[in-house]
Amino acid sequence: MGSFTLGKYLPLNSCIHKLDPRAKIIAMLIVLIAIFIPAGWLGYGLIALAVISLIFMAKLSLKFVIKAMKPMLFMMVFLLVINILVVKSGTIILSIGSFAIYTDAIIQTLYIVVRLVLMIMITTALTATTKPLDLTLGIEDLLKPFARFKVPSHEIAMLISIALRFIPDLIEETQRIMKAQTSRGVDLKEGKLKEKVMAILSLIVPLFVSAFQRAEDLANAMEARGYAPGATRTRYKVLKMERNDYILLVVSFVLCIALIILAIL
Amino acid sequence: MPIKFEKVSHIYSDGSPFTYTALKEIDLEIIEGKMTAIIGATGSGKSTLVQHLNALLLPTSGKVEVLDRIIASDEKPTKLKSLRKNVGLVFQFPEYQLFEETIIKDVAFGPKNFEFSEEEAIAKAKKALAMVDIDPSYYDKSPLDLSGGQKRRVAIAGILAMDPKVIVLDEPTAGLDPQGAKAIMELFKKLNKEYNKTIIIVSHDMEHVFNYCDDVVVLDHGNVRCHLSVDQFFKDSNWCEQLHIIPPFIIQAKELLKNRGIEITKDIKTVDELAEEIAKKVIK
Repeated sequence: MGSFTLGKYLPLNSCIHKLDPRAKIIAMLIVLIAIFIPAGWLGYGLIALAVISLIFMAKLSLKFVIKAMKPMLFMMVFLLVINILVVKSGTIILSIGSFAIYTDAIIQTLYIVVRLVLMIMITTALTATTKPLDLTLGIEDLLKPFARFKVPSHEIAMLISIALRFIPDLIEETQRIMKAQTSRGVDLKEGKLKEKVMAILSLIVPLFVSAFQRAEDLANAMEARGYAPGATRTRYKVLKMERNDYILLVVSFVLCIALIILAIL
Repeated sequence: MPIKFEKVSHIYSDGSPFTYTALKEIDLEIIEGKMTAIIGATGSGKSTLVQHLNALLLPTSGKVEVLDRIIASDEKPTKLKSLRKNVGLVFQFPEYQLFEETIIKDVAFGPKNFEFSEEEAIAKAKKALAMVDIDPSYYDKSPLDLSGGQKRRVAIAGILAMDPKVIVLDEPTAGLDPQGAKAIMELFKKLNKEYNKTIIIVSHDMEHVFNYCDDVVVLDHGNVRCHLSVDQFFKDSNWCEQLHIIPPFIIQAKELLKNRGIEITKDIKTVDELAEEIAKKVIK
């Protein structure tokens, strides 16, 4: 689990790290929309160029970003298999008896894979350069206009930040319990089905017990410090949009427009 | 067969921005049949060191020799079960590993994993629970209903039931009341003396180290600062001073007496022995 890089924050010093989280979230959303515009390979090339230069500017190594894609590998293979079985158009490239693989299947899968890869790259660029707490601050601010529709923006942000805050703790706890049970002869990798079920049980039960314990402790600590949902409170960190933030927004907007034009042409 | 560390280094998250060297080319030999204390400040590598003993962590470089197994950095070890049966590792706050419906089942979980039959495992569990002083009337209760100290003892019994040759404990008394801590330390001493188990114990409590252990290993920023017998270690007051350790009560008393002109050279452990020695000096 130590090599799990999807969604991990990397404390580096780059111009991307210093951007306002709100600008980054909006820019990400715009690029995500752009990815879904069917603008052909030229469009994807354009987005890829933008995303890669962004990663480069954020001083992230490509290795880190590629590592983040590992969990998606299974999904990509799965998509390929499904497409090969379902899509029956285009020309046949390979046929074994009554079974044939069509060019369209490969092309469609490639389209989806490229989209997925780009999406993971852009979200990784966001999470790797933005502290989880800044992210939730940004989300809170962005949700504020929806307060009119009774969206509890602060509560949602608090929920997210608590959840994010406990991820490393829970991972650490899992590893600790795994080690403790391994010391008691649990083998999480090998063994019969019954043993495996037992092994997972020996992991999950203590994890739940301690997670509930933690939740209760946190609730008590928050109450002891006078936390009340919905109360007005000031902030230690006040977000401020600067020139670079606007540049990011403009660039992502222009990219999106360019893709729409490409799609129409 | 000693436990040997040869130039063992351990680096966490090697090659990432979070890289951290926990052990730096450590050479260490722990003698079998002894009770060895491992002390050192937080972050000195104690927990990392003990996790090498049953191959939960593998050395980044160097090799570890435990019982008849050699764990080297350049090969992936296989069949670790026999090693893990023989080296029982009790983690800090082990009560978090309890999960079964009943205490007896939880304690029998370890032996069952090591291919003992149901009956044998239960028999071993009963023996281990008797050792940690848990009354048979508790056997069918849920481990989650126990008090903190009882949970701790049940968790330790879970390791003892595996009947390991080497027992490694990471701060077994942390968070226990003094009586509970004393009872547990006495149990380890008994396991060491009567059952001839090799005991390795990570501790912050100098009284425990002084009263129960034979040898002491001091870790400092991933290096072994010294490895001495407990008596030698506390005799030289420089060690405690250098390492910012408050010496055990008896050692402090001896030091104070020495300043007042009463020098006691004999190695003593208890207040009674100290009183006897003082009486001897005074009567002379």
